[in-house]
Amino acid sequence: MPLQSVENPNTRAVATPVNDASERELLERIARSKDQAAFRSLYGNYYQRLSRLLARMSVRREDIEEVINDTFWVVWTKAAEFRGASQLSTWIIGIAYRRALNALRRAKLRPVADQPFDEDSVSVGSSEEEETNTQWLSLGLERLPVEQRMALELTYTLGHSCEEVAAILDCPVNTVKTRLFRARETLKQVLPELAGMSGEKS
Amino acid sequence: MTPRIPDTHAEAWALLPWLANGRIAPEDREWVEAHVQTCAECRAELAAQRMVATQVTRDEAAAPQTAASEEQRSFNKLWARIEASESASMPISGTGAAAGGARSSRAVRWLAAAVVVQAVGLGALGLALNGSNRGGGYETVTTVDPLTGSRPGAPAVTLVFAPNTPINTINTMLEHQGLSIVAGPGLQGNFKAELSPDAVASGATAESVVAVLKKDPHVTFADSIAR
Repeated sequence: MPLQSVENPNTRAVATPVNDASERELLERIARSKDQAAFRSLYGNYYQRLSRLLARMSVRREDIEEVINDTFWVVWTKAAEFRGASQLSTWIIGIAYRRALNALRRAKLRPVADQPFDEDSVSVGSSEEEETNTQWLSLGLERLPVEQRMALELTYTLGHSCEEVAAILDCPVNTVKTRLFRARETLKQVLPELAGMSGEKS
Repeated sequence: MTPRIPDTHAEAWALLPWLANGRIAPEDREWVEAHVQTCAECRAELAAQRMVATQVTRDEAAAPQTAASEEQRSFNKLWARIEASESASMPISGTGAAAGGARSSRAVRWLAAAVVVQAVGLGALGLALNGSNRGGGYETVTTVDPLTGSRPGAPAVTLVFAPNTPINTINTMLEHQGLSIVAGPGLQGNFKAELSPDAVASGATAESVVAVLKKDPHVTFADSIAR
């Protein structure tokens, strides 16, 4: 089986759950005939997404590739076992999430929630309000425990439903709601505009 | 089933992120939207969550993309790992993992095709020899099977080749030992090879070629077959 240089046409595509049908077709080709082109295409659909997600989880840069490849090793070997009870993206991202937790344990890294919050590191002098908000948000996200951060990222960045987030994180739906509730409260403490909006109580 | 009619502020509040991202469950959308219409606090929170969603998405879009070359390099590493794993499982074709099985079956089919070509050639040679024998007016001690090239009673060995051994290397190895494959591959990737009359005439035995082949890195298993 010679290694082919198959360039993925969807490298920069923003994949969402609506791509599930086409991705399932790719998975079927992998399961049925060990189709390398289908595997490469599916890999490309997730590479950027997982890279960003894992970086958000504070997985070390040198470990990110290993986590992604471990994830797709499972996809390659277990493709025929995917029963379709959930979205394919839920399955794949769930595998990556668990692999990432293992990588974090191995690296003895912990979520940075307990680290002191350095407000001086925020460049509030920027003339661009959006840029400032983005900086605040990034700092706020970094303050979140990894479980809360993932619940928020999966909801807003990847657009998953509450049930899908629960499946990925392998926890009850109510736990997802609680994690996101706490994440929202933490963000309000660091994102001034957000706090102002939520303060508009009747 | 009675429709669920939750109307508590806390429940609606908890579901606002999915109202903001458009993925709220259809059965919840109506009542949560109805609640938001009447609750200023939830309206403000929904606006805040939409802002978070916008910021996160913008942050994501602005993030530097990994170079396509880096993605390809990562994929190549994964593929090399898959190939190595499946090659390693080749000798246990039919008993290994699904991936290994598929890989092995392809390699085995390729080797089998090579064996068929070799066997056809040997068969043709055998037929030619038979013809010349008839013309010569004498009988040979053994009769060559026209399909496999096998000679009843010929010294034979069982062989398993290392994964990824080129067919040319296998042919050279067999030629040097005076061996010809007459059967295989078996379930374990094993082949049966017989010594040619010339090799036997020069003193080669199944045991002697097995001793040599066991030292060859391209051979993972070699043993003589009792006649």
